Amino acid sequence: MSESLDDFRARARSWLQENVPEHGSPMEGPESREYALAWQKRQFEGGWAGLTWPQAYGGKELSVLQQIAWFEEYARAKAPSTHNALFVGMNHAGPTLIACGTDEQKAFHLPKIMQGEVIWCQGFSEPNAGSDLASLRTKGLVEGDELVVNGQKIWSSYADIGDYQELLIRTDPASSRHHGLSWVICAMDTPGITVRPIKTMAGPAKYAEVFYDNVRIPLSNIVGGLNNGWKTAMATLSFERGTASLALQISLSQRVEELIAANDDAGVSDTLMDLRADAAALRAMSYQFAIKSETGPVGSEGSMIRLYFAELAKRVASASIDIFGIGAPQVLAEHGLGFDYFDSYSETIAGGTAEIQRNIIAERVLGLPRGSR
Amino acid sequence: MDFDFSEDQAAILSGLEQLISSLNIEAPKDAVFSAYSHALDAELTEGGFLDITQQEGFGLLDGALIVEQLARLPVSVEAATSVLIAPSFLEDTTRRPVAILQGALTKAARFLPMAKTLLADIGDDLLRIEIPEGAVEEVETLFAYPYGRLKNPEALPSVSLGAGRLVEFRRRWRIAIAVESAGLMQSALDQVLEHVKTRQQFGRPIGSFQAIQHRLVMAAELGQAVRWLGFKAAWSDDEGDAAIAATFAQDAIPRFCTDLHQFCGAMGLTLEFPLHHWTYRLRALLGELGGSSAQAIAAADAVWGASKNV
Repeated sequence: MSESLDDFRARARSWLQENVPEHGSPMEGPESREYALAWQKRQFEGGWAGLTWPQAYGGKELSVLQQIAWFEEYARAKAPSTHNALFVGMNHAGPTLIACGTDEQKAFHLPKIMQGEVIWCQGFSEPNAGSDLASLRTKGLVEGDELVVNGQKIWSSYADIGDYQELLIRTDPASSRHHGLSWVICAMDTPGITVRPIKTMAGPAKYAEVFYDNVRIPLSNIVGGLNNGWKTAMATLSFERGTASLALQISLSQRVEELIAANDDAGVSDTLMDLRADAAALRAMSYQFAIKSETGPVGSEGSMIRLYFAELAKRVASASIDIFGIGAPQVLAEHGLGFDYFDSYSETIAGGTAEIQRNIIAERVLGLPRGSR
Repeated sequence: MDFDFSEDQAAILSGLEQLISSLNIEAPKDAVFSAYSHALDAELTEGGFLDITQQEGFGLLDGALIVEQLARLPVSVEAATSVLIAPSFLEDTTRRPVAILQGALTKAARFLPMAKTLLADIGDDLLRIEIPEGAVEEVETLFAYPYGRLKNPEALPSVSLGAGRLVEFRRRWRIAIAVESAGLMQSALDQVLEHVKTRQQFGRPIGSFQAIQHRLVMAAELGQAVRWLGFKAAWSDDEGDAAIAATFAQDAIPRFCTDLHQFCGAMGLTLEFPLHHWTYRLRALLGELGGSSAQAIAAADAVWGASKNV
């Protein structure tokens, strides 16, 4: 007999009570890698990793409702943020492999991600190809059964501690725009790769610049077919802009409730109730989207929810400072609310800026004519 | 109404420009959270810029012009309090830099690490506390100003200035918030305008996209509004004007900073891009004196009296 949702939730709550680490994650560097991998390993061993991933590759193949229940309990238990070094692997590299990878690629990589053995990073943006991703120039020329890659990527979170990268490159030198690209699995220890971490205004080195100097990658690492990378990249971005943030969205709602619980100042009650209403709206939209995604492709609606979440996250971070006061220990503490606030600015940039998301929503959801770029 | 600078004001600003130029102040090259310019502090003191409001023929508005200009620099210096607030509350105005705080004396305050005097609004009294060497522990923050907190506030003698002085103290603080914000906003905007003119995406400068142009125009409007509201409040030294100026400034800052960082993309989120030198400080000022809601209540009190807002 299958387990009821209530029983599943109770089991999740009980396990989290026993297993959530006492201390939070270091913010950067090898320590953050070790922390993330250890926590992922513990979840896997407890039977809580890859809840919706295929059983054939070690996943649990559970329902989205169970996934939501897990994330709700996860947030309630103040478990480590899913916005950690596992984020790319668990939320868009893994799902892209499930959707577009070969059996060999899935069999090799998915268990490693789930079991907390590897960190993934993303290599899409370039110094002159940010919002205009299709203008990317990093080249991969076919030589025998390998690609020889030269170029540069930037804003690659976790590249300094990563094992693999989802790398988007131009493999047809005669092509332009979104034609002639390939989505490639790049092992970060391949000779010719140099990584330069970049410190953000929130403090830690959250991003990195990656340089490729005659980096040789097997053709068997191409995901979705040679010169078909735009389609694979769109799959990646649909995950990144869609269900990838589900846990973070639930966690944000929980954070609003914690702010309400910690405050009895009537002077900010209207702000707190505004935030609660927004958080409730976000959850309603994101649950609807997640459940719909279980039965097939859901189009670009995910951009609406991603954008709503990103802007609300910034407002919650700002309100948190105001509620405690600018000189309060919670605000000034290392990686305290001041850090959260400046870190939250990346929410409307990463995975496509708010402006790009609005273009997508306008054209693909509302059906408005495409404007000039 | 005359919005042009008087000859004296033009001379002050010209002198200030020369002083700043002689120090060759640039944005810190290293990725740092804050930079206090002791050299600028010394030169401003020597040049008499910080006691301008006590000089014959000059007033708060002249001081506000100086504070607004200094806020445009990529480094901080304690000027707003010394120029706009402290002269009314210090017996010895050479005991600066001056820190200000509202609430418990255990809270962190801007400029406390180098302050010689603290003015503290503790709700039912205004205290003046002389800060001896070693009495303050520094607090590292992301708000660009040097922050510190008193190690043992009970051990420090304080002078009670009386609850009656709180109205004037808060009024001046509100003027300082608006005027300093105006200078910070102008420099932040200048950085972003330069970026969107040169940064190309989709084969054209991103500043040519209407979505960006419109919001940058709105940001410029907010900056100008804060500037003139701040100057008006400094000119009138009026309760309502000060509260409205601070309300507007603190209300505008979140929208303003969000858009400015947004238009610089991921580069604008790094310590390598200089925008944070101004937006860190704006976020700090946004939270002072209880934030925009508290200033709005003060504005309402100025119009209707406090009894309406119980």
